[in-house]
Amino acid sequence: MSFETFRDTIFTLARDHGAQAELYYVEGDTFTVRIDRQEVDSYTVAKSGGVGLRVQHDRRDGYAYTESFDNPHELFNKAFDNAGTISASDEHPMNGAQVYQDVREPENPTLSLTAAEKIELAKALERAALAADPRVERVAYDIISTQRASTRICNTRGLDAYQTEGFSYCYVSPVMRDGDELRDDAAYRVNAETTDVEGCAQEAVRNTARQFGGKPVAPGKYRVLWENVSLAELLSAFTPMFSAERAQHNMSPLKDKEGRKVAGEVTIIDDPLYPKYPRAFDAEGTPSITKTVVERGVLKTLLHNLKTAKKAGCASTSNASRRSAGSPVDVSPSQFYIAPGEVPYTELVKTLGEGLIIRDVMGLHAGVNAVTGEFSLLAKGALVENGAEVRPVEQITVSGTFLGMLEQTEAVGNDLKFGLPGSSVCGAPSMVFGSLMVSGK
Amino acid sequence: MITHDRAYEVLRAAQETGADFAELFMEDTRANNITVTRGEVEDAASSHRHGAGIRVFAGIRTAYAYTADTSRGALLETARAAAAAIRGDGGTCAPFSPRDCRVIPRIPFADVRNDRRVKIARDAYDGAAGYSSEIVQAMTDCIDVDSDILVCNTEGVFARDRRCRMRLFVRAVASDGKSTQTGHEGPGYGMGFEGFDRIDAADVGKRAAECAVTMLHAPECPAASLPVVIDGGFGGVIFHEACGHSLEATSVSRGNSEFCGKLGMKVAADCVSAVDDGTMPGEWGSLRIDDEGTPTRRNLLIEHGILRGYLVDRLGGLRMNMPVTGSSRRQNYTYAPTSRMTNTFILPGEDDDDAMIADCPEGLYAKSMGGGSVNPLTGEFNFSVSECYWIRDGKILTPVRGATLIGRGTQVIARIDRVGKTMTMGQGMCGSISGSIPTNVGQPRIRVSELTIGGKGGNL
Repeated sequence: MSFETFRDTIFTLARDHGAQAELYYVEGDTFTVRIDRQEVDSYTVAKSGGVGLRVQHDRRDGYAYTESFDNPHELFNKAFDNAGTISASDEHPMNGAQVYQDVREPENPTLSLTAAEKIELAKALERAALAADPRVERVAYDIISTQRASTRICNTRGLDAYQTEGFSYCYVSPVMRDGDELRDDAAYRVNAETTDVEGCAQEAVRNTARQFGGKPVAPGKYRVLWENVSLAELLSAFTPMFSAERAQHNMSPLKDKEGRKVAGEVTIIDDPLYPKYPRAFDAEGTPSITKTVVERGVLKTLLHNLKTAKKAGCASTSNASRRSAGSPVDVSPSQFYIAPGEVPYTELVKTLGEGLIIRDVMGLHAGVNAVTGEFSLLAKGALVENGAEVRPVEQITVSGTFLGMLEQTEAVGNDLKFGLPGSSVCGAPSMVFGSLMVSGK
Repeated sequence: MITHDRAYEVLRAAQETGADFAELFMEDTRANNITVTRGEVEDAASSHRHGAGIRVFAGIRTAYAYTADTSRGALLETARAAAAAIRGDGGTCAPFSPRDCRVIPRIPFADVRNDRRVKIARDAYDGAAGYSSEIVQAMTDCIDVDSDILVCNTEGVFARDRRCRMRLFVRAVASDGKSTQTGHEGPGYGMGFEGFDRIDAADVGKRAAECAVTMLHAPECPAASLPVVIDGGFGGVIFHEACGHSLEATSVSRGNSEFCGKLGMKVAADCVSAVDDGTMPGEWGSLRIDDEGTPTRRNLLIEHGILRGYLVDRLGGLRMNMPVTGSSRRQNYTYAPTSRMTNTFILPGEDDDDAMIADCPEGLYAKSMGGGSVNPLTGEFNFSVSECYWIRDGKILTPVRGATLIGRGTQVIARIDRVGKTMTMGQGMCGSISGSIPTNVGQPRIRVSELTIGGKGGNL
């Protein structure tokens, strides 16, 4: 059955039951090719689609999701039944019709390449990595991927919002050997830069080669220069702290901290319209709003959807999200980044003077606790003495609290960089922090 | 789900460009999740996932295509989309030998009204919230998943299975107004709703709360390199990360594992033997057949320190010239399958649990684990400890918070010097290239003679 017929049937059922209904429909296609030794190693093409239904009855929301468009009655009944299960009484408003800014997607020529051209691009990426350094033994991963996704949100209150997004990336991970030492690392390029296979390969090889000879440092407190890409990953793992939903549930160290100093001289911005991955609206159809979340250390606002905003007595910050079309409405940042400063990277190393550069952390899904704000992570990087890098460092852990670390900000770099996008995308410049606990041998 | 004739037609379409092997995977999955927070039912969601994935091989080159539309036209189009990516010398399609592994659970989830799910989630909530006035929040999820799958291929496999699993997940948050700590518990089984009869929901909530409150009053863990005693149950995540992932054909077949070429060689201490066993009835990580239709089995990985086997899927087997081990898994039809773990554990040994602590002048006793990760190429792993205690002079000195353990896989399994007598398992969701899948980790209590302990504390 067509989406329109499916929608109309659901909306009629909702009216008959004295309920409101909202459909969240996603559809997309994906292309991924992995090259191994100049041959297509694996190849994935897909079309996917699914619809999440939220039924609101008696101020309670129930959810159901399906990928099969043949039974709107079953979907409605599931969601209606789920709504009857809810006992929490927080009101969760639904948007009516909205007006959106015209959002223009950045140019991305990779999206219009043919499959054969994308395969050639991926092969060129592998060749570039193999040629970049004689110590490159092979390439463990070499991938090009393109995706198109569209989202449509419509409800019985008159909302009908539609947007499409394109996305592409290339990713390469070389394996390098120097004597008995084996190392790997990776680099990627996204969207318009996907075709920069040479730059991507060079960066991946540089990231890998600089690890040779790495060893731990003695345990203790160290001054730290945390590099942009890795710091963006750390910020990403801590984003739940900024959710009003989490704060209202006593699950964020930022609960009741609005208007108070929570970090050092750091500014954090959430901008759904930032030209990298601009979007017109969030997962509830609220028009995008740019806001400063932390201004020079002061928490200006938490991130809200319609439900948390109603409870807090403010307006939604356009941060409604759904982990997938079947998940209940939650809160997440959009394009969330630490505002860059003016210090070039080379100056940051001099500012650090004595300490550690952190370039890579592992175990973010386990070693970060966004409820307590603490982290303890396996890390790699380099030792710095007298303002100069002296040797690589690995097999150490760095531990601290995220806000405590920001409190000790000493310098902010001018090299803002964004990580790979998920449901949100985070960015950070490289930064120097006063003190962090390090364990090693 | 699909007739033999239709399946045959789809597989032949997938072989149009000469694939020597083609496979069709179909899935119809229904799931429910009830969430209780602040003592109230906050979320109730149901999902119905339905689709198909088609994989083709030309030698060791593969292509995969999937679709949510399982009509004849869409399946044929998907088969041809996969076929378009490869050129092979042609293959045949053997007659199907049907195998039906479906077992009807004692209590199917579809027969269960939501109020029964709510009661379990509420009991767990009450168990956590009632433990201490310092518990400021608990969030509990009652989760059930019922998956009907079909795998058929050009070698005659036509296998059906029905996989039911259920889990209670509790997160408790303790705070004294100054600092905050969390605890979690997540028991689950590969069973119908009757599996909840095995779980004392209030006690699960209480244990999560107890961990959070204990850690709230604990000093920060010092950074050090010392002996570590690791309890059974979810403690087995150390073997899962330090060793298990590196034994998957996904890594081994491409030379990306530190265990490459080491079959028959000594890789661990004599006291270490380990298996991956997908056959254990009703367990969280169990399957009757894997996602290529191969029956699961008990795979011996390490025997008295000697490496005896890897976990091998079809593609890995072709690359390594080894038979498959019933280890091919995927999150759902949107992923091509690859070699993964099921229930992976260190077998019981002969050492006394109490003596491991009593014989230790200074070290860490890790009672309960968080998650971790590994780089199979270098074996570098890390995992977080959710509840642990400092040992001094053979006695527990104090709980400590915020510990992380790091090391290299081969080093760590060589340093296991004690293995206790009683093996227990814990449940987790394991993420890798074929998505997130339920796996059990397990071990008896063990001791590692030296590990790097990360923490932000000073002297105790």
